[in-house]
Amino acid sequence: AQANEGLHTQLLKKHTQNKPAEKLLFFSFCSFMCLSYIQDAMLRKQWKRAAEFLTFYIESLEKDFSTEYMGAEILCHRFHNNMKEFSSFIEQMKTLGVKRYLKVSVCLEHAFHLLCNGQIDEAYQNLSLAESWRFGEQTAIQDKEMKLIQAYRGLLDYYSWSKQKNILLEHDLSVEQEMHGCFRKAAMNLKEIIKIPGVWDLFVKCYVDLLEFYGDYSEAREVLNEYAYNSKFPANPNAHVYLYQFLKRHGESKKSLLSALKILHDIVPSHELMIDFHIMLQKSKKRKKRRLGLEVIFAVLDYAGWKENVKAWSCLARQVKQIVISEKHLDWIKQEWDPRRDWWPAFHFSRYSAKRNWQENESLSYEKALVAGILLGKDSKYFKYVSHRGCKAQVKRFRILKKFLNKHNPVYLRLSGLSDSSVQP
Amino acid sequence: SLPAGSWVPSVTPQDILYRGILRRKPGRPAGDSCTSQPLPVLPTQLSHFFVDHPEDAFGSLGKLLHQNFYLGDSKLRVSVHSGLPPCSGCPRKNLVPRLRWFSHLARDWLFEVPLGLLADCVHEDLLLQWASLLFDDSPTGGALAWLPPKDVGARTGRLVYPGGQAMNHLCILPHGVALRRGGGGREGVPWVAGTSWDTAVSRVALCPLPDFVGVRSDYHCGVWRVPGRTGAAPTPLQVIRTSVPASCLTVSPHLPGELAVCTQSGAVYLWSVETGLQRLRHDPQTMFFRDHSPWRWSDFTAHPRVLSCADRTGLQCLDTRVSPGGCHFDLFKVGEEAGCQQGERVVLPMYLGRAYPSQHLVTTQFSVYVLDERLPLVPVLKWAHMMKAPPLFAHLTPGGPGRSHKVLLGASRTQELLLLQYRGEKRGALGVLWGRVSSVPTSQPPCCRDRLPPPPLGLGSEEEEEEEEQTFYLSNLEVIIDEEEEDGGTPVVPEEAECPQEPSANPQPSPAAALRYRRWLKAFSKVCGQPPRHTRPPTFGQKRLFTRKELEEPSAPSALQGQARRWLRQAMRDGGCLQRWDPPPSALPEPPEPAEDPDPLSARLTASWCGDWDGWWEGRMSSSLAQRQRALRERRRRQKRARGRRSLSASFTSSLTYQSELSELSDPDTAPPPRREASPPLGTSPPAAATPPSPEEALLSSQSLRSRGIPKERRKTLRDYLAVWADGPPEPPELPGSQASQLCIPSSQSQLSSASQPRRKRPRMGF
Repeated sequence: AQANEGLHTQLLKKHTQNKPAEKLLFFSFCSFMCLSYIQDAMLRKQWKRAAEFLTFYIESLEKDFSTEYMGAEILCHRFHNNMKEFSSFIEQMKTLGVKRYLKVSVCLEHAFHLLCNGQIDEAYQNLSLAESWRFGEQTAIQDKEMKLIQAYRGLLDYYSWSKQKNILLEHDLSVEQEMHGCFRKAAMNLKEIIKIPGVWDLFVKCYVDLLEFYGDYSEAREVLNEYAYNSKFPANPNAHVYLYQFLKRHGESKKSLLSALKILHDIVPSHELMIDFHIMLQKSKKRKKRRLGLEVIFAVLDYAGWKENVKAWSCLARQVKQIVISEKHLDWIKQEWDPRRDWWPAFHFSRYSAKRNWQENESLSYEKALVAGILLGKDSKYFKYVSHRGCKAQVKRFRILKKFLNKHNPVYLRLSGLSDSSVQP
Repeated sequence: SLPAGSWVPSVTPQDILYRGILRRKPGRPAGDSCTSQPLPVLPTQLSHFFVDHPEDAFGSLGKLLHQNFYLGDSKLRVSVHSGLPPCSGCPRKNLVPRLRWFSHLARDWLFEVPLGLLADCVHEDLLLQWASLLFDDSPTGGALAWLPPKDVGARTGRLVYPGGQAMNHLCILPHGVALRRGGGGREGVPWVAGTSWDTAVSRVALCPLPDFVGVRSDYHCGVWRVPGRTGAAPTPLQVIRTSVPASCLTVSPHLPGELAVCTQSGAVYLWSVETGLQRLRHDPQTMFFRDHSPWRWSDFTAHPRVLSCADRTGLQCLDTRVSPGGCHFDLFKVGEEAGCQQGERVVLPMYLGRAYPSQHLVTTQFSVYVLDERLPLVPVLKWAHMMKAPPLFAHLTPGGPGRSHKVLLGASRTQELLLLQYRGEKRGALGVLWGRVSSVPTSQPPCCRDRLPPPPLGLGSEEEEEEEEQTFYLSNLEVIIDEEEEDGGTPVVPEEAECPQEPSANPQPSPAAALRYRRWLKAFSKVCGQPPRHTRPPTFGQKRLFTRKELEEPSAPSALQGQARRWLRQAMRDGGCLQRWDPPPSALPEPPEPAEDPDPLSARLTASWCGDWDGWWEGRMSSSLAQRQRALRERRRRQKRARGRRSLSASFTSSLTYQSELSELSDPDTAPPPRREASPPLGTSPPAAATPPSPEEALLSSQSLRSRGIPKERRKTLRDYLAVWADGPPEPPELPGSQASQLCIPSSQSQLSSASQPRRKRPRMGF
């Protein structure tokens, strides 16, 4: 293999020097071999060898073929501690990459690498240098990439701004001027990228932080609204989360908070904030909102990720219990339960999960047993197993639970639409 | 009927192609393989067909006609009663000798099928076979599954895999029991009644906890329940037959007894053991753009009522609660948004619910994507896997809290394995996900690549919570890669690969050996007084791959294992590797014959071996200097002679070639590693400095540039350009002469610079 490798490299070298048209096929074969050598070397973590092959390969490159990634990976490992060598290598890469428009991505990788090594100033310099490059025609892609570089530079500006902010907060007012300069630069760059449709969570957060610090709430709100509601942007749940958090920070009315969360509920019914949403809806006096709260908590528990969440189950248990005690709005539970009747028992209330929940988390099994008892009756597998264990272990609340369900057993019958008790689930 | 333990030979390139070389373009998309035209030799293939299947080619017409022909032999008379039964069942059964003679006589002119039509059919079949040779998606997902033990800590996990001669049996192997292959040893249960070829299992999918196993072959899908007790036979629950080949079967991780089935006609079904099939979609077209591949896939998502549905162009999520085609959203689309390459296609999607409930893995020929259902279409993570063949198998081993998850990718034909570490930490709102994917040193054991001709059918893995150890199973049941042991340098895999496992390679002992063995056995049994149990010639025990002892876990880790484990952890922390990938010792070249007149390199190596390197350097310095000067002078003389008839551009390239020749000449000197470079006394001038003004410098001097008519404003560009080449490479800076040759100047550039020179009759070179 070693000998082959040498041979192929030689051939490749030769053919990159003078490439006759009739030998193009052979040439592409050689470059393919070279690529496989690079991959092989990377797999074996022979970074030096990989770097050598990469230099050959880029020259023979017809189109961008995951070189960016390889370049970055090799860079990170090959020049782990030798920054000078690294820089010379990256310069070479950049020179070679001009034709392929790789420059931008290589440059970004370089900056990330510098950041990983804690050389923030160098990374900043590198990015500003990249901004000044112009090559060929300014295509739309290049324009976007340039914006990306600017945005990352803005991020670094934000970083130094926040450092100076901390100094300022320690009552050292001398940095204020410099800090303001950083703010202006950062804000300018971040503002640009946010206008392009995309997922810019990081940039948006920083920009909003900047604006909030200087008290420009209306601008911040506008940015967040635009990010959340502009239909050109991908439907990003984070945008609504940021908006909600912003509104909450500024003590906005409950109505606007609820409407922000309602949209989040429509996009991602399984989001963590849905518990907050449910609790807020529960506190509401309006019937409609409490009805929505029940819907929200049922939807949350549809998802596998929430299966063993005590908080969610206790929310559901509490609301269901309230409804049962008041004996009003039992139709709400019925409406929610009907589409889930065929799969929730197997999903949540199997004997297997009863056993496991009991072993792992007693309070989870208590909450679930309460819900199972109401929805499936006191003869359901889950309730039977858990209450049996609970009574055996002399836990008081399980005995109370049993009594409660005995008292309210007709509720189950009404939920399941049965008038006589001869049919078992 | 096949000989015991043999495989159905798969089609090889040699069967189809004239030259037997599989030409594959490097960036060829998986689904697009049909468009690359094979070069089948149709006449050869047709003649094979005529010879191998004469009855099909000539049979029935001959059957009609042969009775009315007088074949010239008095014994053969036309018999009225010999009306042949209709052509059904085994064709050979009804082959009358007379008919065979007839077809032998008539085959040149009497064809059953018109030749053109036959050729078309054969060609079509060849194309199909060619496509499946380039990329066969039928084993997607894999046919090997690991059932973890029900009770945590108990070592009663089992391996489920297809077995039997036609791979139509379902075998279950308890943990710690030696493995046999083929007809010997542990027989599985036929999973569908009847032994036809289309019941060969191509996928085994399972849901770990309730122990439901889904089995798929081309036209059948089945659900089995595997009881928790060891040794209990699996019981079939339901089997369905499809009229179109099924391409996917996955078992729900949420609800026991629910499966997703896809057929190649584009139908997606939710199959519940209790309620039967529910069709969710039927669309022969692909989802996002046109692609000819009929492959479809379906998997489950975080919501038990929502299924993901995939074809080669992307993924969609379907809600089963609403009417077919009602509610869906796009999860992944091959295209700009995900930064896909041209020709990239989805190869295998997988739901990563055991690691993160809302994440999916999508592999393509080039990359691995991690997607989040909550923010669809924008991949959370993209990573180029750089495997040679598209990964058809994927297996997730979830890590515990604070540990990374491991994803094992496997390719079918090239037998590559790639183990990835994957970690996503949730931060803030939806989770700015910090992805880290890296390949762990455990990847292709090189010895296995050569030795496993049948492509693997699947992947499985055994999970050990407490120990940092994982055993991965490859479905042709030959390789068990133990991450730890391999990294620790214990040669487990090479040992396994050493034994002759491939029956077709060495199925039987030689007759002489068998004879000797039988004789010995007879004598032995006479002495023992026991008749031998079987008189069949024994075969090698290649079916039994691992002995019970080998599979047994040591009761307590030995000191050596403990140390290996410590090393492994250390290496994983440092990100280094424990075992180097040196070539195996057998691959080391033979020591060369000592030559009478050793070349400079071996002389130097000998000198440095003996420790007299400095002395050699001194001697070399003086002699090589003289040698080089002599060579230079001679070359210059030759060039002078040649210059007259050279054109300008040729002379310019000649300077380049001259340069490289020069550096070749000086190579022996520059070869010593840079570390030692400092040690020889540098007072004697270094070799590069001893040469006359380096050609490159001469090339760059403005005089020579002007002399070649390069305009002033271009000179700087050219000089800068060449300077980049001279400065760039990571070579020791003391060697400018050799650098120029080690770099390679792209042809376009050299052409450019030569083209920029105006034509002059007598070019003057720098020297």
